[in-house]
Amino acid sequence: MRRVFLATMLVMFLAPAHAAGQSHLLVVSGLGGEARYTEWFTEWGATLVDAAVESYGMPAANVTFLAERTELDPERIDGRSTKAEIEAAFRALAARSRPGETVVVVLMGHGAVGGAGPRVNLPGPDLTATEWAAQLDRLDGRRVAFVNTASSSGAFLEAVAAPERVVVTATKSGMERNEAVFGRHFAAAFAGDGADTDKDGRVSLLEAFVYARAETAREYEDDNKLLTEHAVLDDDGDGKGAEAFTPDGEGRLASILFLGDPAAARAGADAPPELRAALERKRVLEGQLAELRARRASMDPAAYQAALEDVLVGIAEVDEEIRRLGGGG
Amino acid sequence: MRLAALLSVVALGALMAQPACARQTPQGDGFALLRSGAYDEAIDAFRAELRREEDVRVRKGLVTALAEVGRYEDAAEAARAGNDVALANTLGEVLLAVGERAAAEAAFRAALEGAAADSLDARANLGMLLLARGRRDAAHAEFQRFFGYYNQNVATSAEELAATARAVRELGATNAQLFHDALRALDEALAAEPEYLEARLLIGELFAEKYQFGEAKAAFQQILAVNPRQPRALTGLARASLYDAGDEAIEYLRAALEVNPNLVPARALLARLYLTGESFAPAEREAERALAVDGTNLQALGVLAATRFLGRDMEGYRELRARALEANPAGSRFFTTVGELAVQHRRYRESVELAAEATTVDSLDWNAWGLLGLNELRLGRVDDARTHLERAFAGDPFHVWIKNSLDLMDTYSGYATVATENFELFLEEPEAELLAVYLGPLAEEAYAGLAARYGYRPETPVRVEVYPSHADFSVRTVGLAGLGALGVAFGNVLAMDSPKAREAGTFNWGSTFWHELAHSVTLGVTDHAVPRWLTEGISVAEERRARPGWGDDPGLSFLVAFNADRLLPVAELNRGFTRPAYPEQIQHAYLQSSLVVELIEREWGFAAVRSMLDGYRQGRSTAAIFGDVLDEDPEEFDARFAAMLRERWGRALAGLPEGDAAAEMLATRTFVAGAEPGADDFMSQLKRGEQLLAEDRPEAARPYLERARDIFPGHAPTGGGPYLLLAGLAEARGELADAARELAAHVAVNESDYAAHLEVARLYEESGDSAAAAGVLEAAMYIWPYDLEQHQRLALLHRAAGDPGGEVQERRAIVALRPVDMAQARYELAAALHRAGDAEGARTEVIRALEIAPSFPDAQRLLLELRRGGGAP
Repeated sequence: MRRVFLATMLVMFLAPAHAAGQSHLLVVSGLGGEARYTEWFTEWGATLVDAAVESYGMPAANVTFLAERTELDPERIDGRSTKAEIEAAFRALAARSRPGETVVVVLMGHGAVGGAGPRVNLPGPDLTATEWAAQLDRLDGRRVAFVNTASSSGAFLEAVAAPERVVVTATKSGMERNEAVFGRHFAAAFAGDGADTDKDGRVSLLEAFVYARAETAREYEDDNKLLTEHAVLDDDGDGKGAEAFTPDGEGRLASILFLGDPAAARAGADAPPELRAALERKRVLEGQLAELRARRASMDPAAYQAALEDVLVGIAEVDEEIRRLGGGG
Repeated sequence: MRLAALLSVVALGALMAQPACARQTPQGDGFALLRSGAYDEAIDAFRAELRREEDVRVRKGLVTALAEVGRYEDAAEAARAGNDVALANTLGEVLLAVGERAAAEAAFRAALEGAAADSLDARANLGMLLLARGRRDAAHAEFQRFFGYYNQNVATSAEELAATARAVRELGATNAQLFHDALRALDEALAAEPEYLEARLLIGELFAEKYQFGEAKAAFQQILAVNPRQPRALTGLARASLYDAGDEAIEYLRAALEVNPNLVPARALLARLYLTGESFAPAEREAERALAVDGTNLQALGVLAATRFLGRDMEGYRELRARALEANPAGSRFFTTVGELAVQHRRYRESVELAAEATTVDSLDWNAWGLLGLNELRLGRVDDARTHLERAFAGDPFHVWIKNSLDLMDTYSGYATVATENFELFLEEPEAELLAVYLGPLAEEAYAGLAARYGYRPETPVRVEVYPSHADFSVRTVGLAGLGALGVAFGNVLAMDSPKAREAGTFNWGSTFWHELAHSVTLGVTDHAVPRWLTEGISVAEERRARPGWGDDPGLSFLVAFNADRLLPVAELNRGFTRPAYPEQIQHAYLQSSLVVELIEREWGFAAVRSMLDGYRQGRSTAAIFGDVLDEDPEEFDARFAAMLRERWGRALAGLPEGDAAAEMLATRTFVAGAEPGADDFMSQLKRGEQLLAEDRPEAARPYLERARDIFPGHAPTGGGPYLLLAGLAEARGELADAARELAAHVAVNESDYAAHLEVARLYEESGDSAAAAGVLEAAMYIWPYDLEQHQRLALLHRAAGDPGGEVQERRAIVALRPVDMAQARYELAAALHRAGDAEGARTEVIRALEIAPSFPDAQRLLLELRRGGGAP
């Protein structure tokens, strides 16, 4: 069994979380074609919805789940994943969310290319990539992540890419047409504890992407199959999917987008003053850490290591205090 | 990336398709007979015709026929009898074949002065003769004239165009593109006369000279389709087959020499092949026979000199060297011949010196520059090697070995060098850190152990190059892809496949390294004079000593080969490596050599092995060493060896076919049960057991499988064999200890069965024996070290077994594998280091973990504990 090892560039992306208010999630699982696919897509969507609400503290009202068959999970599914329902969901999202807030849209299903253009199969008429882009444009001013986990989803990249928008596709082009499993692992990234590689208690879009990509490769490897889906991410708006990332280039936005922030939720206005003070000290120390990193190249290595250790010890001590005060972590 | 130049022939195929009636040259019966290889009949026909009427063309045919069968004196006499300038060039060719250079030169000049019809051919011959005497400027002046002949349409016949091609080919030493022009001239020669065999011979020789052996073979085969006995074509085919497995090259040469026993190039090449196979006496005999015909032939002089050089007879070598330089003061071929043979005998340092000498006498010998560079590379002198290989490639862009080697060296920027006390590990970046975790300690352990045992410390640092691509390893070793070996030792430079270079479960890279380092020791302790069989035998035996299960054991085909009397006498064991007669013979030679070494150690003690090595260092022969050290001649030893095999594997041997039946089994490689199963017939017992298992009758199968196991305990193929089947039965019965015992016996024979290693580790683990499980799993890492889960598992086993050092090693391996969750991996390493009492190492690693994940609670706690002075937990 040969394992796939990923570049771990994401570990450098430790910019503090954006103080961005609420997050919103729209999950759409499309037409399965066969019962097992319908069940897969619904299950993946449900996993993601549960993680958003239960692990990331996202208010249930901020989560919308549209699926092919509502009867499969009526408690979670809010409506059918038809073109009309999707357009309605986007209108609601635009009305509900405010500029600066985070909106994550995730598609599960089978993709296709040709004809009217790239699309994801839906019950009834499909939405083409251009039509999805038009819906996303309703969310102007929000920080949007659009994650298409369908086969052939790479063909969406050019149409839906935009500044301040994260686009993830399960395939690098429209030519990768075989059924894709990236969506399963993307959902699992938020539900499990393996994707949080910087151990800050939450999974960024970038962490989820890297985790899902690696696990997808592992699944193919374990099944002794050739890898037929190569997920890519674009968040600099150029419409070109990337597989490797840099702190201030491709991947920057994805590294600071989250479904929610459990710690921030705990440190709300009703938190004790000691806890809020500790959190503030931590924020200052994290700022120092970011500054130190920025100066690393110009510093003597020994001096850098010494300063790094001091800051890390400071963060460790303050985190210890936060934990003692019931602030989690 | 360099583009290797390729020669191509345009018209060859099409012209061969032309009907025989397209032939334009006049011919009688003699010519037809000569062309078909009926030489005696051709000679009779020519003579009969000449008795009727003198005809210069017929006489020329007679001379050619006599020369082709090696009757050079008769040929010269016949040529002289014609007393015609038209025969002068042909006479010169005959005289040249027997080394009568002055007379040959006079004949060629006579043809030129007499404006003979074949004067262009005579001029080309004259140039070749001058070149052979070291007069390059004069030779090139003759060759330069051919540009005018060609451009002014003076050279129009097939013979003239072929002469032009020969001249241009030689000028290619200063301008490689001229080789293409030579080939074009030969194309045109064939267009002028499709059945002109000389042009086809030259095409084949040109391709062979430029390492395009497939095209060369095709050209020679086309000639042999017309004349299956054509000696030069057979010799050319042998040359083009030199790097093929098997004895084909020797067979072609024997066929050539049967037709022309005095064909010096064939005789010299045969001598060379014998010496390549470390058969000194036959090599010497053949070289001397070649020199008896032409005492100036550099190839023959080189082979004979190599027998002296390699046998440490430096006085004899110098005498031949002087003779070669007298014949040709620019005779670099002499030195490259000795140098290439030195390489075959693992004398790389001397081959560098010889190649350098070749470049001194002829700075345009690109082959010599290549030989120099390739062997500098083998000695680890990478910068010098690159310089000289670049020079060789600039002069000869057709040399694919050089091109491949330079391309490989271009990839070296992606490698890292990891230094240990005695080693310089040269590893490809992505896997360098991982492999170094294992290879570093293993290398030092092997170095210390082997140095103490043999009383010799290889010069340090020993350089170990590990290639993740087998093709790269192959190029590193022989300049071409396709080498079957796993590793090679050039002295204190080793090269080998990385585990990634092959499918998991196909080889053990730990034992491969140990094997190669043992070569370094035996090469060094004998000053590179150890014969192939002994160095291989010791290396395999040392693998077996290093770890349980390492080193191949005799399998079924080895025992069948013994019963078929196909194992080689010890005095001829080298042949099994250099010219294996059947596909498994090289593997059998490894096994046999190792068993010979083990038998010597058992019967005479290890001191005898060291004494033998000392004997080879002194340049003594195998027979003399056996007599002095063992007080036995090799034949007596062979009898002792056979008795040992019968004693050790008697039960298995008794159940196997013998004689012709065994030979048939070996030839067809069908190791299947006979029709009448016998109690001691391993194969029928195994087969019956397998049948019963297939019928879902496990308890009925069990006694058969147990009997098979007991008859031949050495049968443990990957994924099969009695042990694995019995282990499966035992586990199904819930007898886990029995299952573990069977699997342990399997992996004690099979060093490369990765899945079986994992299985036996699982069984030990389930039975609570963490230390045993860890031991087997650690052994598995020398088969396939890339499985993250197994490293996680092994780290936990080491921890459970109370082995902090082992746990640290595994945690380092996990970090080296760059898992997605790097912070966790570094934290686990820090924690393991902390438990092992290495607080400073732990601190370094935990900071690395926190640098990735500053809020990682476990790592924070460890850092604070370390800062507060917490010692090992």
